[in-house]
Amino acid sequence: MDNGLLICRCQEVTEAEIKAAIADGATTVDGVKRRTRAGMGLCQGKTCGRLVQQMITRQTGQNPAEVLPMKSRMPARPVKISSFGGNE
Amino acid sequence: MYDVIIVGGGIIGSSIAWQLSKKNQKVLVLERNDSASGSAGATDGVVGYHTKKPGVQLDLAVQSIEMFRHLQEELGPEIDIEFEEDCGGMQPVENQEQWDLLAGIVEEQRKSGVDIHMISAEEACKLEPNLAKDIMGALYCAKSCGVNPINLTFAYRKAAEKLGAEYKNSAAVAEFLIEGGRCVGVKTAAGEEFRAPVVVNSCGSWAGKVAALAGLDMPIKPRKGQLAITEPIGKYMTAMLQCANYNVIKFRPESIKDQTILKLGASLSIAQTKDGGVEIGATREFVGYEEENTFEAIDTMMKRAARFFPALKDVSVIRFFSGFRPYTPDGLPLLGEVKTLPGFYMAAGHEGDGIAMSPITGKLIAEMIVDGKPSYNIDAFSPNRFLK
Repeated sequence: MDNGLLICRCQEVTEAEIKAAIADGATTVDGVKRRTRAGMGLCQGKTCGRLVQQMITRQTGQNPAEVLPMKSRMPARPVKISSFGGNE
Repeated sequence: MYDVIIVGGGIIGSSIAWQLSKKNQKVLVLERNDSASGSAGATDGVVGYHTKKPGVQLDLAVQSIEMFRHLQEELGPEIDIEFEEDCGGMQPVENQEQWDLLAGIVEEQRKSGVDIHMISAEEACKLEPNLAKDIMGALYCAKSCGVNPINLTFAYRKAAEKLGAEYKNSAAVAEFLIEGGRCVGVKTAAGEEFRAPVVVNSCGSWAGKVAALAGLDMPIKPRKGQLAITEPIGKYMTAMLQCANYNVIKFRPESIKDQTILKLGASLSIAQTKDGGVEIGATREFVGYEEENTFEAIDTMMKRAARFFPALKDVSVIRFFSGFRPYTPDGLPLLGEVKTLPGFYMAAGHEGDGIAMSPITGKLIAEMIVDGKPSYNIDAFSPNRFLK
């Protein structure tokens, strides 16, 4: 079951799926994300982002400094729609 | 060695690569980053009739959406494109002025033989029970559909690769090789040269810049769209829904009086993904390639979302993002060979219609290249209309 290991808990993406995405040509955390949904869930990659980064480094032999983290976007934590203009 | 080189491995380039591969062409796809790293990776999945410009664009969309109905079968089961057949398209209307504008556009759209019509507020709320009750009515198209644009891009790519197409990621093109007045290949930023009798520019919002490398002036500009995605929630809505301003901004911008709305091109576009997240957009802004989210746009979009779907105010947004749409001055894409540079094809400039138009674009461009002419006349989309 080692390949059934969950890397992204929010989207339930396994180690095997991430390895397959890297084998498919993903060389960035965002590339893995678009192929597998890893990092698209509630925590937005806060847990799995670094693991995915390390897996890419290991599998592709890229310099760790060159494997960029996921693009950071607002909000830092989930925010209710009513916190914006929505509660008028 | 190659029959065709495709510059740009996104949703349009990959659709073309797949169709050419089906016609036994040896295809090389050069992608600057990775597939779906541009527009298709940062958009919603509307495959609608009701959001298309009346006339040739909607006629072409009719052909394209017909292809969608069998696309999963043809692409194979490996990647689920999450096609939502006939989930419907709706645009709630708030006042008489919007009703008249939309009803006028609908009259023109119906000339393409699609069933789009205006419905009452009661009918709209029956179809979408969570929709605010205080609307005047809505535009409705029962046959509009939805798709997952990222999965669709990778499904085209995978299907093309299975048939022998070769992809190179991180392979930006730096120059086009031109000999005897013909485009005969490309040179990458890394200095590699590749040759083929046909080169296709399918670089989406970057296609104008890429055409300039071949000395061509093609008026494709990036137009930013900002969006939000919420946490996953239970089944909340069915249709691909936009507020009436969406079509008004797209087809009758001169009738918008609010300067903020006009500048941001802000209207509501909302749909629930298969995952349960609600995708909320969108804006249409000319800000070059500046891709950050702005509070002004977020505020406007969130307000519109809660206005039409009040229960959403207690739902959390987990990510804001943005993507570029390839704008053209007449709202139509550029499809075909450039007559001043034989061997060089344009397949870009779909603005917000690229996901929905991807199947037919791939098919017709492949037919032009291999058969000499497309099975459906697309003269109106020729890039030659912009040659001075």
